[in-house]
Amino acid sequence: MEFKKTLRTQAAIPLTTAILALVFLVVGVADYGFWSNQPTPGFFPIIIAAVLLVTSLVCLFQTFTTKDVKEVRYNRNELLVILGGAGIILGTYLIGLVASCLVYIFLWLKFIERAPWKVVITTELIIAAIALGVFTGWLQVRFPIGLLGDLIL
Amino acid sequence: MENFASLLAGFQVALAPENIGACLLGAVLGLIVGAMPGIGSLAGCALLLPLTYKFNPTTAIIMLGALYYSNMYGGSFSAILLNIPGDSPAICTALDGYPLAKKGKPGKALMAANTASFLGGTIGILILTLTASGLAKIGLMFGYAEMTLVLLVAMTSISWLIGENPIKGIVITMLGILVASIGMDTLSGAPRFEFGNMYLLGGVPFTPFIIGCVGFAQVIKLINEREADEKKREREEAKQTKLSIRGSMLSLHEMRRILPPILRSGVAGTFIGVLPGSGATTGAMMGYAMQKKFKSEEPMGTGAIEGIAASEAANNAAAAGAFAPLLALGIPGSGTGAVLLGGLMMWGLNPGPLLFDSNPEFCWGLISSMYVANIFTLLVAILVIPFLIKILSVPVKYMIPIITCVCIVGAYSTSNSMYGVLVMFISGIVGYLLDKNGFSTAPMLLAFVLAPMLEKNMRKAFIASQGSLRVFVDTPLKLILLAVFLVLILTPVVKSIRRKLKKNNSKT
Repeated sequence: MEFKKTLRTQAAIPLTTAILALVFLVVGVADYGFWSNQPTPGFFPIIIAAVLLVTSLVCLFQTFTTKDVKEVRYNRNELLVILGGAGIILGTYLIGLVASCLVYIFLWLKFIERAPWKVVITTELIIAAIALGVFTGWLQVRFPIGLLGDLIL
Repeated sequence: MENFASLLAGFQVALAPENIGACLLGAVLGLIVGAMPGIGSLAGCALLLPLTYKFNPTTAIIMLGALYYSNMYGGSFSAILLNIPGDSPAICTALDGYPLAKKGKPGKALMAANTASFLGGTIGILILTLTASGLAKIGLMFGYAEMTLVLLVAMTSISWLIGENPIKGIVITMLGILVASIGMDTLSGAPRFEFGNMYLLGGVPFTPFIIGCVGFAQVIKLINEREADEKKREREEAKQTKLSIRGSMLSLHEMRRILPPILRSGVAGTFIGVLPGSGATTGAMMGYAMQKKFKSEEPMGTGAIEGIAASEAANNAAAAGAFAPLLALGIPGSGTGAVLLGGLMMWGLNPGPLLFDSNPEFCWGLISSMYVANIFTLLVAILVIPFLIKILSVPVKYMIPIITCVCIVGAYSTSNSMYGVLVMFISGIVGYLLDKNGFSTAPMLLAFVLAPMLEKNMRKAFIASQGSLRVFVDTPLKLILLAVFLVLILTPVVKSIRRKLKKNNSKT
């Protein structure tokens, strides 16, 4: 199930932070300024962005020059968890948040973990109790009901 | 004496029915979350943060404090019974706890851990009672420049202590500060780095960000542990023995064996906890290492009850000690401390030297509640012993969808919009990628929480000095703080250079 990632994320992370730092540096200098008789709103973020830019570049240099860097391996199952989270978010717009969570739990336990029905039902009940009992009933949170809920109600 | 009078007044707050209820709830939830392998106190506090929104600030923080505290107890359960530490501070507990359980004495190991946690925690809270207001008085003498330097020391110490690469520590700390600078300028209130996005105008919301970085990121990592967890459980299930409270009670001789390590580790652990960046894990490791220098009836690592007592007393004492700089100076000692600090700020309380003057009932109520929480947690931890095997039998693979849903529901509830869920989701993926590539997220969380305070103090110091850098070096105290800051920065750099030189020399 494991696969080698051709792009070395060890290098991608400092590269991303360097780009981010550059954006904050440019926007900070252009829009918020650094000093005008006293420190302006851009003063602190500009200093931080400059330090981040320099350290990110040093970090990037390190990843290319260090020979014994541990290879980072990613597992397809990790992607499944992320897809599951994304599925709930998308499902929320269609069938609502609580229903999406319950559908996700059913699909995950039944098809990925191949859990027995007893576990599936117990877990569904626990999540329903947390979402509806604790959050809706006690904390008065109104969860989105999605397009389907809007049509029905 | 003044402190004890304030403490008595604090008990009036702590013993209010709603606060007792919150304390008990926090103790029970903390024990459960702590016992579940792989969640940990940081993710536990972050996941349960939304539950406290219903309460007033004092009750909410009392619940979170109890939760954090009882987490330390809970972490030892799975370490002893399954050899899977519930949290990193329990790693040392497993070294002797599990061998003792394998010898057929799991109850004794659990009871030793509970007793040591209780006594170590009590020592920590006593020292906190004696020192917190004094520390706040020292803090009152600090101006903007001193606070800037103290905050810089706090931020750098955690970054440098975690991980081997100092550059990665700086990168992650700076990233946390930059994320915190999105939204409103701390002094003028003007919009900043919102990039035309209406949602970003309010900044990156604290709770969804924390839930994502530690909760959701943890779930993604947890999936890799399910196979190992399954195999370990299969091995353990065959040897499971029944646990009873009576059979777990310690004899007088065993109590005499664990008392000296508890006292030593309790005192030392508290002072370790006070240092920014060290936290309960360092406390537990130091307590265990210290015990190795003393005599134990059985060799350490083979089921010595003294080893369990030393690490458990130290980690609970460190957890209590960490509250001193948090309340008195507004500086959290660890990632979990940062979550508690963020919680305090959300409720409009500004931890720092003035808190003891402006909100004494809150400060002393919280400290008194820790005594109450300590007793409650001990009682619950003892009563739960017969049911522990059942509680710990929930496999990691079933926890993954449950925690994912709790992350999503919790993130929505704190922001009442899907924006909170998106922030949680994105920060979860980012947190996972960072962690996987050797960038620990704890310094980022600490920097995210402390950044507004650092910016405010730094800018005010520059305004007061009209831009002169001399404001940071004009008194002996500032020079000492600056020297500590420089030592913290330079030590790992020098170490890294020396390591490389040594490597090169050995090659040639």
